[in-house]
Order: sequence, then C-alpha cells, then structure tokens
Amino acid sequence: MSKGIDVAGLEHSFRARGGAVPALDRIDLAIEPGELVTLAGPSGCGKTTFLRMIAGFVAPSSGTITVGGTTVRGPGVDRGVVFQQPTLYPWLDVRRNVALGPKLRGVGKAERRATADRYLSLVGLSDAADRRPYELSGGMQQRAQIARVLAGDPEVVLMDEPYGALDALTRERLQNELLTLWRETGKTILFITHSVDEAVFLGSRVLVMSPRPGRIVLDEKVPFSSRSLAPDEIRALPEFAETAARVRAAIAP
Amino acid sequence: MSSSHLEAVRGPRRWLGLLASLVVLLAVWSVVAAADLVEPHYLTPSPLEVWDAFVRANSHHAVGGGVDRVVRGEENYYLWEHLVVSLRRIGLGLGLGVVVGVPLGLLMGTVRWVGDLAGPYVDFLRSLPPLAYIGFLVAWFGIYDASKVWLLFLAAFPPITLATINGVRGVRQDQLNAARSLGASGLQLQTQVIIPATLPDILSGLRVAVGFAWTTVVAAELVNGLPGIGGLAYLSGTQNKIALSVACILVIGLTAIALDAVIRTIEKLVVPWRGKA
Repeated sequence: MSKGIDVAGLEHSFRARGGAVPALDRIDLAIEPGELVTLAGPSGCGKTTFLRMIAGFVAPSSGTITVGGTTVRGPGVDRGVVFQQPTLYPWLDVRRNVALGPKLRGVGKAERRATADRYLSLVGLSDAADRRPYELSGGMQQRAQIARVLAGDPEVVLMDEPYGALDALTRERLQNELLTLWRETGKTILFITHSVDEAVFLGSRVLVMSPRPGRIVLDEKVPFSSRSLAPDEIRALPEFAETAARVRAAIAP
Repeated sequence: MSSSHLEAVRGPRRWLGLLASLVVLLAVWSVVAAADLVEPHYLTPSPLEVWDAFVRANSHHAVGGGVDRVVRGEENYYLWEHLVVSLRRIGLGLGLGVVVGVPLGLLMGTVRWVGDLAGPYVDFLRSLPPLAYIGFLVAWFGIYDASKVWLLFLAAFPPITLATINGVRGVRQDQLNAARSLGASGLQLQTQVIIPATLPDILSGLRVAVGFAWTTVVAAELVNGLPGIGGLAYLSGTQNKIALSVACILVIGLTAIALDAVIRTIEKLVVPWRGKA
C-alpha cells in the first residue's frame, strides 16, 4: 500500500524582477516505500517548494517526480498533505473535516463517519469530534489535520513543518504520536522541519538541504526511529546527539 | 470569555441608556411642540399626535371635520399594509439580486477573464445612484411594480456580486490545495470549499444591499408609490398631514434597523465561524 517517491534531475527557479531566481538545484532522490524521511534546512532554502512539487501544487522548471511509478502532474489522493497552518474547514465540525476525503470519493454517510471516528480515536481526538476547528488548540488542530489526511488513505504523507508553530511540550508529544502512527500504518512519510532534533528523532533517514538554491547536502540513514525504542530512550541515546551534531554541521558548515 | 462578561454588564446598561435618551427626546419634543414655535401648529405635531396618526392609519376611523364618513387606514390601506407592500418589493428585488448576484460573483471570482470582462460594468452599476435610472425603467416596464422591482434588483445585485468576488479571491490557497489532495474535482471544490468559504462575504454583501435597497425603495415610491410606506410618507407631507408623515418616517427608520438586525442574526446562525478562523 505504501509507495516510494523518485525524484530525477529536479530544478526550479522563480520568475522575479531582474530574471530567474534559482530555488532548487539538481535534486536526485529515491525514497523507499515505508520510509520516514525528514528533510531539514535553513528557512528559505526551498524545502517547502520541494514538498509542494511532490504534492503537485507547483510544477518544476525541469526534472521529473514519480510516486509509485506514476509521474506527478497535479495533486492526487495518493499524496496526503499536512500543512504548516492547519487547513481545517471552519464550516465543518472536526468529524466532518476528517470524513471529507471519503465524502469526496463518494463513500456513504455511515461508513465515512465510522472511518472518521476511527482516525480521530487514533490521534486521540474522539472527544473533540463534534467541535469546530477554531474551538481546538493548535496541537489538536494539527492532530485533526493528520487524522483527515490518514482518513483519505494516501500512499505517501507529506508534512510541511506541521509542528513549527507549537509549544515545545505539545511538539514533543505530537512527535511521539507521529512515530507511533508511522510504526502502525507503515506509510511513506516526507517530513519537513527546521528543527535538527525533530529531524533526527523522527527520521529513519535524514536529509539536509543547503541554502538557496537548495541541494541535498546530507543523506543519512538513522536507525533510532525504526527500532522499537520508547521516545524518551531514543532522545537519551549517545548516538542521537552525535547524529544531531553531524546534521547541524551540514546545515551551517 | 471576558467579552461575554463585558456584554453581560453592558447589556442592561445599554438598554437603560437607550431608554433614558428616549425619555429625554420625547420630553424635549413635547415641549417644543407645545411651545408652538412654528406656525401653523400642524407643522410641529406632538408625540401624542404622531401616535394618534399612527393608530388612525392602522384602523377604520372617521374622516373628521364634521363629516360622517368612516375610512379604512390611509388611502384605503392600513399603514402596516403600506409597509408590507414596500417590504415585498425589496424582498423581490433582493431575492433576484441574490439569485443573479451570487452565481455571477462566483463565476467572476473563479474564472479570471469573466471577472476582467464583466467587472467594470458591475462597478459602474454600483456607483450609479439607482434613482438615476428610475425614469428609464418606468419607460421600459411601466409605472407599476415591475419597474420598482427592477430598480431594486439593479440596486441590490452589484454589492452582492462584488462581495462574492471578494470572498472567492480571498479563499486561502492551501484550503483549496488540501481539498485537491483529498480528491476534490473542480465542481466539488466549488461546492465544498469555495461557496462555504465565501458565505461570510456573501452575507456582508447582502447586508449592504438591504440597506441600499431600503433607501432606494422609499425614494422610488415618490412616483406612483401607493400603496407603499415611502409613498405614504411623501403624500402625507404634501397634504400637510405632518403627524402622519412623521409616523411614516419613524416606521421607515425602525424597519431599516430591524432589517439589519435580521441579517445580523442570520449571519450568526449561518456563519458562526466569522472572525474566528
């Protein structure tokens, strides 16, 4: 059910006054099905643009992206997107937000309601199902957004700094939850962050992108999250700190 | 939570303040009317005389002046019937304005070239005082209700259309992207995201249109406006029935406030998320 992502010769530049501004520079990358890949980099390096290209919101200047062997030509249900700012719809309660994907695919009312409730309980939001998104805290909104994406049953989940706006405690709790979700669902996940610790903690593989124009300057398998270690044990490992130091050095050499 | 606490304190205080100002207004008005500063007396009717005119206009009453005849309200209609006729006109005009204005706004907001093409005309129509074309409409549609409903339609739909366009263009790009990634087709994007997201703006436009249509209908009834509350206000003035004219003016003003309150209540019910998300 999970699919891989293949990126070949990807380049992108923005049109601006005074010519083209290069944003991404020759990216070649293969993400295996079921990997949780984290991509770290300084702000403005093009990592969000990269993610939006895989999502199909932006077309690259050149190069190709394929997901599960199919070339990306636009947004599609095989790629779920968790946005930095939650995009829940205020006119729907939380349950209907989560049930939207099945609804758009024409799933019947009772069935999509059951699907929504299942994913809401998976992210610990069963009690909030009847509330409106603006009645939830930032952390709960991100949980609801993740539930909505999972309820759409995508092969690949793309996450664009989803925890960037949350306080440290909430952030850590959501990281732990994501790890559990990934282990349970086996989805392919690309997770963008500007936090080194987050990248190292979550990733089964960590990528680092250079400042604009973005290139992949570090690509390292990280064993922690794939092992069945508890979150606090991972953070306490000596190798965790070592890997974090290497990633930090790659971001700011 | 603190705002609701404030409201709880403010609510009664506000009503008390309103009541006090009303008492002062009526007192000053009574004194001025009794002082007969202006001659003849009928130019300054007292609050009681206005109330009396209001009651007479809503009942069968003797013509007075020694004549034995009993008439029905004013000009054969009760005052509330005059009001209902005017409300029916703006109801029709606004209804047509919504039926035409909202889809047009959605189209103009979604399809760039349609917006660019039709935009200047809607803008032009919006900036025209509607009474400028009443003569034209009378020539086309006659002096009866059709020309007035057309007038109100033409007054109501530009603000509704412009607000709708504004709403469509203000939909967050990622709210659209999220729906696309969940598999929304073009039509589903319209019905599931764009229309609900635009609803607060549509209702704002409707509120503007209601105010605009109400001022317009009262003015439009200067020409063959009976029955109609604007027509009655005008006629009574020309016949030196000043008390009745003042009663009509009060009814017109209070109706405008009530209409606005109705729309705001609808807004609270239909778009409870306004200002929160």
